[in-house]
Amino acid sequence: MSSQAESAAAVSAAAEARSALRLTRSISATWWYVALAVVVFQFFVLTLLVSVLVEGSYGTATVVAVGVGGLLWWLVSLVPIFDYRHRAAEAPLLVWRRHLPSLVVGVAFGLGAGLVTGSWVVGTLPVVQVLMLLNWPPGLRLRTVLAVTVLLVALGIIDLRAIGDLAGTSWPQLIFMCATLPIITVSSLWWWDVLVALDQARISEARLAATQERLRLATDVHDLQGHHLQVVALQLELAERLMPRDAEAGMEQLRAARVSVDDARQGTRDLATRFRSVPLRDELANAVDLLRAAGTRVESVVDPDAAQAPASALGPVIRETTTNVLRHGGGRWARLSLARSDGVWRYEISNDVGATAHEAGGGAGLEGLARRAAEVEGVLHVRREGQTFTVVVTVPTEEVPVEGRVAG
Amino acid sequence: MIRVLLADDEGMIRSALAALLRLEEDIEVVAECADGAEAVAAAERLKPDVCLLDLEMPRLDGVQVTERLNRTVATRCVIVTRHARPGVLRRALASGAAGFLPKSRSADEVAAVIRRVAAGGRYVDPEVAADALSDERSPLTDRELDVLRAGRHGETTSQIARTLSLAPGTVRNHVSTVLGKLAVGTRQQAVLLAEERGWI
Repeated sequence: MSSQAESAAAVSAAAEARSALRLTRSISATWWYVALAVVVFQFFVLTLLVSVLVEGSYGTATVVAVGVGGLLWWLVSLVPIFDYRHRAAEAPLLVWRRHLPSLVVGVAFGLGAGLVTGSWVVGTLPVVQVLMLLNWPPGLRLRTVLAVTVLLVALGIIDLRAIGDLAGTSWPQLIFMCATLPIITVSSLWWWDVLVALDQARISEARLAATQERLRLATDVHDLQGHHLQVVALQLELAERLMPRDAEAGMEQLRAARVSVDDARQGTRDLATRFRSVPLRDELANAVDLLRAAGTRVESVVDPDAAQAPASALGPVIRETTTNVLRHGGGRWARLSLARSDGVWRYEISNDVGATAHEAGGGAGLEGLARRAAEVEGVLHVRREGQTFTVVVTVPTEEVPVEGRVAG
Repeated sequence: MIRVLLADDEGMIRSALAALLRLEEDIEVVAECADGAEAVAAAERLKPDVCLLDLEMPRLDGVQVTERLNRTVATRCVIVTRHARPGVLRRALASGAAGFLPKSRSADEVAAVIRRVAAGGRYVDPEVAADALSDERSPLTDRELDVLRAGRHGETTSQIARTLSLAPGTVRNHVSTVLGKLAVGTRQQAVLLAEERGWI
């Protein structure tokens, strides 16, 4: 009995997993956005430095050397940046294998560029930037970045005073960019950390909701089964006592116990199917698949807007009529259609008449369908022309609100 | 007299059902089998009118037994299950089963189904049919299903490509779309999932 509930849970878990995947993809997109922002900004600072050197009175060899060194610095710092995505909070500050190349290149480039340009900021920035990409604990990183920004601003002021009129006009922009690069980098990474935390919170929330739903279902099943089992136990006990004295009354209790068991089964099934609902289109497609699997030639025409059709009214109709075709039909052909015209949804299913079509069972089912259709102001027609049996159900396009009907 | 073969790996249920069916005047239970292979052997030897087969059995399941018997013996198969997993009814109908009903049906209902099927009719339980109609639809396209089907026994990408006359790159693209749609990590898992849901 519980396997139905399990499978319903499995279906919803699969749907959950699929939507989780879409969301994972969306945080991947954000990661690329964050990483690219850092990488591009760093590259921009580098190009600004080279253009300042070109503007200024520096030799071609110097400019090329600084450019190549800068490119190398930019390339090796890609490693810690792209490592950052999967970093673990408890990882050490420094992983030699991952950080050593960027540190070495940063120090070398900073030293070279600083000496060549005579600028403190240009000399410090490469090392500072690489340091910012280490695996800092969150609070410490904030303080560090504030400290280095203050340092860079101070060095920038010294630079501007020292270099003065000697250099090109782009120096102030370069120094400004250099001073903001670490803080931009850190805030981008911080934004990524926030996003990861939010994402994890969302995942655990979804998991919690699913668990709660499962618990609720388990409680419902337990209550239902407990109740019915108790009833059955009482009925059996009564039957046992009655049997020696009044066999007929005992039999009556046994039959009642069987009915109780059936109620319990039906109740459990209803609990499990409460969570299953499929769009009308899928239901029709399943019907076509089933009939085809049974060897029937099937034609189906489904309105592209079938999603708007009243599924609660038409779903049972589709199920019942398809079952009828499977059980009573001749099995050669069937035609299904669902179309909207003049304010009504019209579902029609016709099939060839089989040998067992006259049998009872189908009739009672169709009466039930007519009743259901009437509940939503719909109409059911059944007709038989020669070897063709057709059921047509029409329901208004707008489901009549329950309150309106009660009031009217 | 309708000669019936029963196959169910749950002994209690099998013997209780056999005892109940024997109470019916027009039904004779000629064999009780505990698994699918035994059922095939017994049915080929005894040629019963109707075989009542449990879906979940060791060695061969009810649908596989139906497929085999349809090729060799003139018998009508009814498949019984506790819970119809998605796609099972479709598989059963495609295998040529004449009936499908849940285990919860009482013995007199089972007897009625046996009579109806023996008379050449078909019986599909409304409950099972309703379940089948509310199955989740496969999110995969026909081509993607072809790729999974061609690779279900662990074939390599280039083997799949050759079978379907596609470029290996196209096959790889299909596979990665399938993995994305089903939220699984490997092609093997995708195949298992699709088989479980009755999509392939």
